[in-house]
Amino acid sequence: MSKAKNNASPAKRKCGPRLMDRLRPYLMIAPCIAFLVVFTLYPVVNMIYLSFFEYDLLTPKKFVGLNNYYRLFFVNVDFWEAFKHTFYYTVAEVVLLITLGLLLAMWVRKSTFLNAIAQRVMFLPHLVAMLTVAYVFQWLMDDRSGLFNAVLNFFHLPGLNWLNSSKTALMSVVIVSIWKNVGYYALILLSSLKAIPAEIYEAADLDDARPLLKFFKITVPMLSPQIFFLLVTITMGSFKVFESIRVLTGGGPGSSTDVLVYYIYRYAISNMKYGYACAAGTILFVILMVFMVVYFRLPGKRVHYQ
Amino acid sequence: MKSKTYYRIRRKIIWVIDSILKIGVCIFLAFPFYWMLTTSFKTYTESILFPPTLIPRVFTLEGYRTVFEGLDLGMYLKNSLIILFWIILIQMIVMVPAAYGFSKCEFKGRGLLFGFVTVAFMVPSQVTFVTTFLMFSKMKLIKTLIPQIIPFGANAFGIFLLRQNFMQIPDEMLEAARLDEASELQIMLKIMLPMAKSSLVTIALLSFMSHWNSYFWPLVMTTSDSVRPLTMAIDKLKHLDFGFVWPTIMAGNVLMVLPVVILFLIGSKRIIAAMAYRGIK
Amino acid sequence: MSEIVFKNICKSFGDVKVIENLDLTLKDGEFTVLVGASGCGKTTLLRMIAGIGPATSGEIFMDGEEISDIPPGKRGVAMVFQNYAIYPTMTVRGNIDFGLKNKKVPKAERDRLVQEVAETVGLTPYLDRKPSALSGGQRQRVALARAMVKKPKVFLMDEPLSNLDAKLRGSMRSELIELHNRLKTSFVYVTHDQAEAMSMADTIILMDAGRIMQQASPEVIYNDPDNIFTARFIGTPPMNICRLKDGETYLGYRPEKVFFSTEKTDALYQRKAKILTREMLGSETLYKVQILEPDFAEDKGLSVMTKSFETRYMPGEMLNICVRREHLYFFNKERNRIRKGDVPDIETYYRMAEGTV
Repeated sequence: MSKAKNNASPAKRKCGPRLMDRLRPYLMIAPCIAFLVVFTLYPVVNMIYLSFFEYDLLTPKKFVGLNNYYRLFFVNVDFWEAFKHTFYYTVAEVVLLITLGLLLAMWVRKSTFLNAIAQRVMFLPHLVAMLTVAYVFQWLMDDRSGLFNAVLNFFHLPGLNWLNSSKTALMSVVIVSIWKNVGYYALILLSSLKAIPAEIYEAADLDDARPLLKFFKITVPMLSPQIFFLLVTITMGSFKVFESIRVLTGGGPGSSTDVLVYYIYRYAISNMKYGYACAAGTILFVILMVFMVVYFRLPGKRVHYQ
Repeated sequence: MKSKTYYRIRRKIIWVIDSILKIGVCIFLAFPFYWMLTTSFKTYTESILFPPTLIPRVFTLEGYRTVFEGLDLGMYLKNSLIILFWIILIQMIVMVPAAYGFSKCEFKGRGLLFGFVTVAFMVPSQVTFVTTFLMFSKMKLIKTLIPQIIPFGANAFGIFLLRQNFMQIPDEMLEAARLDEASELQIMLKIMLPMAKSSLVTIALLSFMSHWNSYFWPLVMTTSDSVRPLTMAIDKLKHLDFGFVWPTIMAGNVLMVLPVVILFLIGSKRIIAAMAYRGIK
Repeated sequence: MSEIVFKNICKSFGDVKVIENLDLTLKDGEFTVLVGASGCGKTTLLRMIAGIGPATSGEIFMDGEEISDIPPGKRGVAMVFQNYAIYPTMTVRGNIDFGLKNKKVPKAERDRLVQEVAETVGLTPYLDRKPSALSGGQRQRVALARAMVKKPKVFLMDEPLSNLDAKLRGSMRSELIELHNRLKTSFVYVTHDQAEAMSMADTIILMDAGRIMQQASPEVIYNDPDNIFTARFIGTPPMNICRLKDGETYLGYRPEKVFFSTEKTDALYQRKAKILTREMLGSETLYKVQILEPDFAEDKGLSVMTKSFETRYMPGEMLNICVRREHLYFFNKERNRIRKGDVPDIETYYRMAEGTV
């Protein structure tokens, strides 16, 4: 390309500054790179650096070596609690979002009037701020006057405490997230589904394949690259869950819905223990990077396409 | 072979069940919106009735009145709009040349630098917020809108989308322009940009929606109301009265959701396509 | 036995009516070719037989039984798709095996059938490969094997050869004819290529805009076309059509039936003409010639195609084009064929065709 450019350059360009031509691409991407260095790279490096200090903005920082990590893993049990909840949350999200998303996508795949409406409706929750979603569900899940318990009572079932019981709080947060995101993931899968040639399904019909068999023998294998991609994004997304927790439960009741980001937030913003928060942040960062490497290392291993 | 009536009846039954279930799912997904809207028009006493009423018996604007009286909505809205304006403007200025550089120029380290952009894209703000906060508070900028604007200057998703777009423009077209003695700046602004107009609108739209809805970042980056956006105001509604007054809270949220839903109604096709693309990327 | 009967079939896609009130019978055991330009409804009919694109209204009978509501897999038909529609995630064996498994055929029997069919189409060495590792021709064979292994009552083929290169297409063509001769089951084959239709079919069904223009054997459809559409669709270059001097009767003759002469011959139809272009095709040569004095005044500049074994004529040359009486066809205003017996006096038309030189 650069060769072609030089060849194609009119004579006039020759006396112009050649240096400029070589510098121009760098100048074009410089602002972008600068923003990323200052607001992504530097904060990450600084976070890792500060994780070895005790620091509260008011007094000078004090080097403590690995002490923050030591306290994180071996002294304070709350970190493991938060980690455990994040993990449970993630597993539930991955399993439910992918299975439900896939089912929904399959279900509204044909282009009919009802399906067109369903697709729009499915997308609606994704547009709205998590904050709003959280408030609406907090209201729906209210133990005394919430609609969910009214429905349960209508069917003569006992009401649940939803967000106010440590047994059901995390599940309730998962329900909210599923409601908000399942349509979105279904639509992503739908666009991949539509890329599968219709003839393959017609051939399967002629081979007298039952719907379940078509699903497992054709649809799932053909979607495997997309499903794998969603697996990674949902996992990474779930590990950084925060907004719903903050509005719905505030990490409670007790610490039953404390998660990693909420944990970091509490130590940093509320308690001003920045060094300690940085140590927790570093661990979150490492976890996310591991997923990212997994994603980049295994791409397209099972891509079947002609 | 089973008789044809068997298959015909079976198909009809499946169709009926399928339609009913679909309507059910649609209701399940749309109901919270309905609930938010109707609750916002209820009186407080009606809102806490058990079992609740599906349609408000008395329509009242009490909730909305409390929102407008209790909060300086104008200020929060102004903050939101200023933040959005600058974010989108800066993103465009940064994004267009970067996408051009990454798609149409050859230079040493291009792969490496693009790799850096990709990796940086995957580092979420939930990881960087502590040290970013420290950085801004040391610079004494926490009481300004800046911490809510400049960290988002580089929109990696936008760069990917635009780069994809630029790459589809044939090199011959640029070479023809160079033969016509167009400068690189002219090529970018007069040839590349018009061809990517629709992507730019999409990117701006998505950027608008995500920052309009953003809650985490203003929560951790602000310490005073004077710089907080609308989301933070909505978050304050629960403290406006004693306890949770649902009609008031829902009224505030209706106001939050309204612009986004209107945007969606105008450009639902484009938005769905763009979001799906972001999901696949 | 697997006679297929369409009764009063209509099909529309949205507001577009593709087929209206069509009646058609496909005979048992025949190699039937549905041919026509794209969008004429031929694939639509095929998909109706398969059950993967139901008719909007009307009835389809197979062996006297109405099959509209029977699912595709229960109809005893197999189909070869234009793009083969091979399951890309399964091996070749998996592809061939799939339908048998669904029919709950025992494993040993299945293995035997797959082996047998793979042998016939020459896929034995590739049975454990994925389709992505096969060539176009091999994929075609997989699609064919997948259809054959089910031993269907009817084979449906939707332009199965159109994605192959010319050479391979020729050899697959004769293989398919052989296959039909051996199996003696009904084949319904869709193509847009008239040469393919002519070379393979027992019966050709020529379609246009959802209507059947003619249903006949290749010989009949070539020698005795029902209408101008058929006459021009079959044969390359298509039949020459010119208006006679009454302005509403059409005269037709095939390019290969024209011969040149510089003097008067005994041919019924003779016209002065000038050679415009010459295309040497090898054994034959195509000439485009302009008729100097067209019968119908408005047809000024009318040119016709001729195909000849003579190569010696050159553009610019003036000569007579001649066609014998038995090679002339007449069509009426509605573009339908006028045969002897259709009109009181067919000789009027011959006299008009004779004209004067």
